[in-house]
Amino acid sequence: MKRSAIAIVAVTLTAQVIAARAQVPASPPDCPGEPALFHPCALEKARTFRPPRTRDGRPNLQGFWRGQPSATENIEEHPKTEDDDGGKSLIVDPRDGRVPYQAWAAALPRTHRATYVEPNVPCFPSGVPRSMYVPTQIEILQTSDHVVILFERAHTYRIIPTIARPHVGSSVRLWMGDSRGRWEGNTLVVDVTSQNGKAWLDQAANFHTNAAHMVERFTLIDADTIHYQVTIDDPNVYTRPWTMAFPLRRNKERGFRLLEEACHEGERNTDPLINLRLKIYPGMSGTKSR
Amino acid sequence: MRPGPAVLFSAVLLTGLTLGVSVWSQTTGGPAAYRPSRNAFGQPDLQGIWQALNTAAWDIQDHSEQRFPGLPARFSVPAGQGVVEGNEIPYQPWATAKRDENFENRLTADPEAKCYLPGVPRITYMPYPFQVLQFPDRVVILYEHLHATREIYTDGSPHPDIPVEFWMGDSRGRWDRDSLVIDVTKFTDQTWFDRAGNFHSDALHVVERYTRSSPDHLLYEVTIEDPKVFTRPWKMRMPLYRRQESAIQILENECYALARENAPPEAR
Repeated sequence: MKRSAIAIVAVTLTAQVIAARAQVPASPPDCPGEPALFHPCALEKARTFRPPRTRDGRPNLQGFWRGQPSATENIEEHPKTEDDDGGKSLIVDPRDGRVPYQAWAAALPRTHRATYVEPNVPCFPSGVPRSMYVPTQIEILQTSDHVVILFERAHTYRIIPTIARPHVGSSVRLWMGDSRGRWEGNTLVVDVTSQNGKAWLDQAANFHTNAAHMVERFTLIDADTIHYQVTIDDPNVYTRPWTMAFPLRRNKERGFRLLEEACHEGERNTDPLINLRLKIYPGMSGTKSR
Repeated sequence: MRPGPAVLFSAVLLTGLTLGVSVWSQTTGGPAAYRPSRNAFGQPDLQGIWQALNTAAWDIQDHSEQRFPGLPARFSVPAGQGVVEGNEIPYQPWATAKRDENFENRLTADPEAKCYLPGVPRITYMPYPFQVLQFPDRVVILYEHLHATREIYTDGSPHPDIPVEFWMGDSRGRWDRDSLVIDVTKFTDQTWFDRAGNFHSDALHVVERYTRSSPDHLLYEVTIEDPKVFTRPWKMRMPLYRRQESAIQILENECYALARENAPPEAR
């Protein structure tokens, strides 16, 4: 992970606590963690696993979870380097593990990386789906009509109504998008629209426009693993919809709680990058990209 | 059998009494008169989207309207009646001077100008909505302003005994009959109470009380204690209003992202 991307946490001790937590081992997983192997294994296990349920009879996704942190460097397969931990591609469809960019868009990530400040450096919200694999602790909470996801990183959150209500008006653009959830059997399906297109998918500047439409699927496949899938559709940029999948592993540390990561309050990395003539990424509008 | 005169008389009397009580509770706003519905865990139901409707964000005390020289009139301060009990904040003498200095420099010195987390109770009366969610062992409040969050444990757990300060403090709650009472400590000394320079130290201790006073109102009462800055504890009190729009939802007020985007080109 690039050092420049790690925001300085206002309270040093908080950072130390977070670092200490990262070393807490997860229980041995049944399905392998590599997305290409995990995904078919998880689909198979989801057919028979009977998840614990909430008081309302819904699958109980509540608890502390952790995604696939190395993907925030690059969602595609990338080697270990001086800057990066390296990792396998999160993309399970298409099978080659590559973002299916249209020709005009394929070289843009390289250009953007050389032109703009990575939007996570100034502590901007990571959007969907990056929030699900950015290196942080994730907490899921459920009420009878909402699923709430809290991210320790920059204290961002998602409020997902699970009762039928229409999306927010299409002129409202949000960093974290507008989420609507529903239960399909044992799976929470979340429809995400209205992202402002200013968040990147990773430090490699993989991107979508503000017209992107995401559909996420959360399915418990054993007591401590959620099969997370997200399909991204953005006909402005890609040749076809594509899908990432990876495990969310439960953090079972006793007494664990999220701390306040006052990211912006202690952030000192952006100004030097601005002085190096990098700019703030203005986002990409779906209409303009056409 | 037809009801006899005594029964009729009692019914009229009872109706009159009920009406009287309900009129009384509406006119006094007395929280004791309203019995809030309870959720599946037996807690008073405080869930929903709420917002303050006053000028405490500008100044928690009584104040006249003000203009900032050089700024367009729409950035002026609306006149307002304060939310401080007795309208007096019992500053120690040095702290009165510090507050006055803060007031003079408020356009730039206010932590809000840097889009920093506003702390508690200031976050409650910022002019943006927030959503309350309840769980058996905690209450979660999600604020539109700066996507601030509070997880308020109500499981009897103590404040952590570690030398950490939090912009939003550490909140521990308990249910007291029809109220949620929250004890908040471990603050930084970096936040203010309002845009008028009212301030505190890292010894700040806040006790908040949220009481449903009608189906659509919360009474919000706060006790402020800070022996480094004040000569005695003091209180704030205000209603919070349920947002009535059927489609209301928490959006985003991403102050620091907007500040970066609006910076002059060379600083962007």
